[in-house]
Parts: sequence; structure tokens; C-alpha cells
Amino acid sequence: MIGRPRWVGYALLAPALVAVGFLILYPLYLVLALSFRQGKTLNVLRLAELPFGPGNYRTIFASDATWHSVFVTVVYLAGTIAPAFLIGLGAALLLNRAFPGRRWLRSFILLPWAVPGVIVSIVFLWLLDGSFGVVNALLRQAGWLATDLAWFANEDTALAAVIVPTVWKAYPFFTLTLLAALQSIPSSLYEAAVVDGATRWQSFRYITWPGIRASAALAAILNTLWALREFDIVYLTTGGGPDRATETLAVRIYQEAFAFFRMGTASALGVLTMGMAILLVLMSIRSIRREYF
Amino acid sequence: MKHVLASLAMLFALSLPPIARAQDVTLDFPSWQAEEPGFAEWWKGLIKEYEAKHPGVKVKLYSIPFANYVNQMTVRFAGQNPPDIVHLPSRNFASFAGQKWLEPIDDLLKNSDIPGNWSKLQSEMTWDGKMYGVLLLPYGNLLYYNEKLLQDAGAKVPTTPAEWLDAMARTTNRDKGQFGLATTTAEHPNMFIDAATWVLGEKQDWLKGNKYNFTDPGVVAAVEQFRKSLSYAPPGTNSAVARQLFIDGKAAFLRDGPWVWATLQKAKPEIRPSLKMTQLPFPVITGGASNSLHIPAKIDLQKKKLVWEFIALAASPPWQEKYVQLTGSPAGRVGVIGPEQAKRDPHLGAITQAAEKAENLFPMQPALRENYNEFATLFSRAVVRMQSSSQPTDAILANLQKELTAAVPLP
Repeated sequence: MIGRPRWVGYALLAPALVAVGFLILYPLYLVLALSFRQGKTLNVLRLAELPFGPGNYRTIFASDATWHSVFVTVVYLAGTIAPAFLIGLGAALLLNRAFPGRRWLRSFILLPWAVPGVIVSIVFLWLLDGSFGVVNALLRQAGWLATDLAWFANEDTALAAVIVPTVWKAYPFFTLTLLAALQSIPSSLYEAAVVDGATRWQSFRYITWPGIRASAALAAILNTLWALREFDIVYLTTGGGPDRATETLAVRIYQEAFAFFRMGTASALGVLTMGMAILLVLMSIRSIRREYF
Repeated sequence: MKHVLASLAMLFALSLPPIARAQDVTLDFPSWQAEEPGFAEWWKGLIKEYEAKHPGVKVKLYSIPFANYVNQMTVRFAGQNPPDIVHLPSRNFASFAGQKWLEPIDDLLKNSDIPGNWSKLQSEMTWDGKMYGVLLLPYGNLLYYNEKLLQDAGAKVPTTPAEWLDAMARTTNRDKGQFGLATTTAEHPNMFIDAATWVLGEKQDWLKGNKYNFTDPGVVAAVEQFRKSLSYAPPGTNSAVARQLFIDGKAAFLRDGPWVWATLQKAKPEIRPSLKMTQLPFPVITGGASNSLHIPAKIDLQKKKLVWEFIALAASPPWQEKYVQLTGSPAGRVGVIGPEQAKRDPHLGAITQAAEKAENLFPMQPALRENYNEFATLFSRAVVRMQSSSQPTDAILANLQKELTAAVPLP
């Protein structure tokens, strides 16, 4: 290959570049273009007839509902990622030890990741059902609940109720990523630490954590981005309700586009969500660059 | 050379699809009723006869849950992938017609016997002066009750709204998992129907002229009663769960359409005899157009003809009669239930009576028809506030009126 003209390389890359351009850049352009079309239609062929202007952005930035959705999204992200990370880390540390039945337990712990969001939603809808859910029954038996609580239908508990199944589905990815990182740490480091009289906490802080930090950061970013666009669990359990209590940006975009037919406003909200995602990546890029590059 | 040519000709002939297959057409037909007792039997029987009359044509019927049905249809139409046979809840029909997603059928109707023999609610299939569908089910709301639960609680079958609320209070025993009312208490556009039953039933109206009328004292008082009724229902329930609770004997009352009658047959033998049906205890009985069949716009001519023939078969007198018998619901065609049959099957008499007396509960104002989803969504959020907060009803309704004025302004 050495000495061959550079265009051969570009020519070989061209099909992939065209595919990426078509699959990623064109939809991005379409969302951006749609966000400047003001009016109500779902007919793609009629979108060009709608007036062009920044009105959709003015509408969404002036709307309390938008900032409420941004707030709900941020709470949902924080409420999902932090517990999922801690559970994932705990599971990874457990699975990194040698004990009987470890293989079986590893598959079992990773199972939620493979379960479709629709199934997860149905299972949790029944578990947390207001009248016949097992969670209410257990809490009532334990004397911690006086009356039945409709977890998904109550404004005060709905967001927490939506976060629980999301955490359940999200933690195995942390477990998998962190377990792989844990297994790459040489055991000689732990042996040296024992010889030096280090406590368990010191071993974790000075050997384990530096060894898994890069993977943890990457997993956290990926999971945050996934949670940012999470739709199925939220929509299937609460539909964004009650009274907007769980209306994340993803659910609001869907409502605006397909329930209220305001494609332009939905696209403007999509651009806002993209902006949030880019901001998150930019905020974490320094730590990733430090670890990986 | 001869052999080579003969072999090539044979290969070419074999590569052609058989003649019968060239005519094969599949009509895509999603419906929320595909698995519903009574309705499923009717649709399957209708499809069997249609396919027998149209060799090479298959109707692919499949179920989509009602809770997601309209949204899924919206996504399919928006993605230029509509079904061939379009089955819609009639209250959402206008938003589809407004997007120009449906085919006008005035010419087809002219050559049928539908115009002179159909329910007056067929007029709801009109949008912008054109007819876009055939109404399948005009209905009046009914009150289902569990006679045993009423007797045990010393309550009687209500004849006034106050008596109904009293009976709900007497039959509610949350510790036993027993409720006075089974209704939608999880946020859903259906909440509007429940509230409208109380408001229009008490001779009030959401609109005054061409303006929202949510702050009217009469409307507020009726909604107050509706709010009270929700306190006797299990929380976080959708319409399917509400029906199941009633069928399982865990709720004393259910306000619903006539289609529930067929589902009651699923109740346990010891519960079924207690489940009864009567007219709602309001001066005005509410109802409307439940669901309808449509042809998607820009469908090819061959499919358009086939879909219309399917609709025409569904609208034929024998299939309309079977509709009433199998589903226990009124049919679009008038006079399907004669006085003698009404005498033989009192429940058929009751549902026919309710359908004939019913006043349309869905707003006919064009802006509200076209934006029904948004209107009902905002309305259901207000109902959720009524359930979960101690905010006064008049304040919630005033706020709703403000939200609606901004989101769906009336011209």
C-alpha cells in the first residue's frame, strides 16, 4: 500500500462515508430543517409549504412545559445513572471473586440487559399496580403503607416508579464493562498491597478504581446518552403522566409529533435534546481523552 | 441448439409466478377488536365470507391494544405506510381526515343503500363537506352493576346521580379490595368520556356558543360529582383493567358502552348472574359514534375496490344483524333489531333504546374535532389533578380553560 496515491484510500472509504452520511447526517439535517417549519402537519410532503422561521424555538424556550421536561429529564438521568452505576459496580466486584456458581450467577445478573423494554414495563406495571401489585401487598403487610399506592399514577411517586425499571435494565451494562476492566488489573498489584498491609478500602481506592476509572467513565457516558433518549419504559408505564410528572424530553417530542401533529415543535425539541447530549459529551470529553488518548 | 432453447424457455416459464399468485392480494387490517369477545368472532366470520367471495384476496387481521391504537395508526400514516382497511375510533376520525389521510367515499356511498338506512350519527363521518367512512357502531352509554354487591351493601339500583354516588359509597370497601366504581383513573383521553357522562348527563355543556364554558357553575357542580365518583374507584386503572375488575366481581358499577355485554360472558359462573345492565341515572343519556371503517387516501384502484367491497359486505343486512347478535352492540344500520327480538333479548332492547336516545358526547366544533387528541389529553391531565390534589374543582377547570384556549383556540 505504501506509495500508492491517497485517493485509493479515500475510494475504499467512500462507500462507508456515503452510508454514514445517508444514515446519520441526512436525518440530522432533516430534523434541523423541520425545526424551522412552523405549523401543524404530519404530512412530510406538505412540510415545505409551511412558513419558515425561528417561531418553534421561540415557542419551546418560552414554554414552561419545556423547562419542566428538561428538569424531569435531568432528574431521570441522575436517578437512573447513579444507582445503576453503584449496583453495577457492586455486582462486578462480586463476580470478580471466585466462588461456586459464579458462571451461573454472571448470566443471571446480566439477564435484565437482554429483556426488551416492553417486557420490563409490563412486569413492573404489575409489580407496582395500585390495587393488586405485590409491592403494595408486601408494604402493607410490613405495616409501612396504610393504603394502596398507585405508584405509576401518583404524581409524587411516578418518576421514582419509572426510574426503578430503568435502573434494573441499565445496571448490567455497568457490570459487564466494569467486570472486563477488573479482570485486566494484574493480581500482583493486590498481592503487593497485602504485603504492604493495605486495607480493603485502600486497595480499592489506589488499585481497583484507577484500573476501572476509564471504563466507568465511558460506560457512564454511554448509559447517560441512552437514558436521555429512553422512551419505551417511560411511555409504556406512564405515557409521560400523571399530569406531566414523568414527561421527559423524549416523551414530549413523541407527544408533540404524533399526538398533536406539531412536527416543527417536536423537531426543535429534538435539536434541544441533541444540544444536551453534545453538552454532556463535551463535559466528559476531558476525562475520556485523559484516560484513552 | 433446439434443446438449449427449449431448456431456456422452460427455465423462463418456471421463473414466472403462477397465474393464481399474480392475482394474490393481502389487505392489511389492524384493529383493537381482533381479540375482543364477540367482535373477534364477527370480524373473523366476515373475513371468511369475504375471502370465499374473493379468491386470491387475503385479509390480514391482527390486534393492536386500544391504549396505543391511535398513536400507532398516526405513526403509520405519517410514515406513508397506512393499513389497507382503516378501522378508527370515530372520535379521532377528524384528525386523520384533516391530514388528508383518508379517501372520500361519496361516490361509492351513492351507489349503496347506506345513506337511507344508517344511523343519524353517520353524519359524523363528514369532514370539509365530504363523507370519509362508514359508521360501524353508534351507541348510548350504559350502567353495568353487580346486583349482589348492591344487595350486600343495602344499596339499590340508582335512578339519580345522587343515588348513584350513595350506592358507590356504600359498596366501597378498600380493605376487602372492593370498589364502588370501576373506571379509568390512570391518565388517558378516555377520562373525557367519563366526565362528559356527568356533565352532559346533567344537561350542562363544555361550550357556550363558540367559547369554552368550563367555569360555568353548572359545569363545575357536575364535575364536582364526577370527581367524587373517582374517589370510589381503584387508583391507576386503565379501561381494560376497570372492565376486568367489574367482571371479577370487585366493583359494584361500571359505566361503559354496549360492547362490554359480550365480555361479561367471561365472568366466573358464580359471578355472571349478578352482573346486570341498566340505563344511566341521568336526565340525558350520552353516547356517540364509537368506531368506523375507512379507505386510506392514495390507495391503488384495485385495492380501493377491494376495501370498499369489504366495507359493503360488513354493511350488508345479514352481517349487520350478526353484528348485533355476536357483539351485543347496536349496528350502524337502523331497524336491525325488531320489537320481537328486543322482547326475546332484553339486553338488545336496552342497548338499542340507549343508542336511540343518546346525545353525542363528543364535541362537534371543527377545531376540537381536528385536535381531539390534544383536547382530551389536556382534559385528562386536569382530571389527574382532581384525583391527586386538594385544589378546588373550579380552579382546576379555570386553569384547564386557560390551557385549552392557548392550545386549541376556538375561532
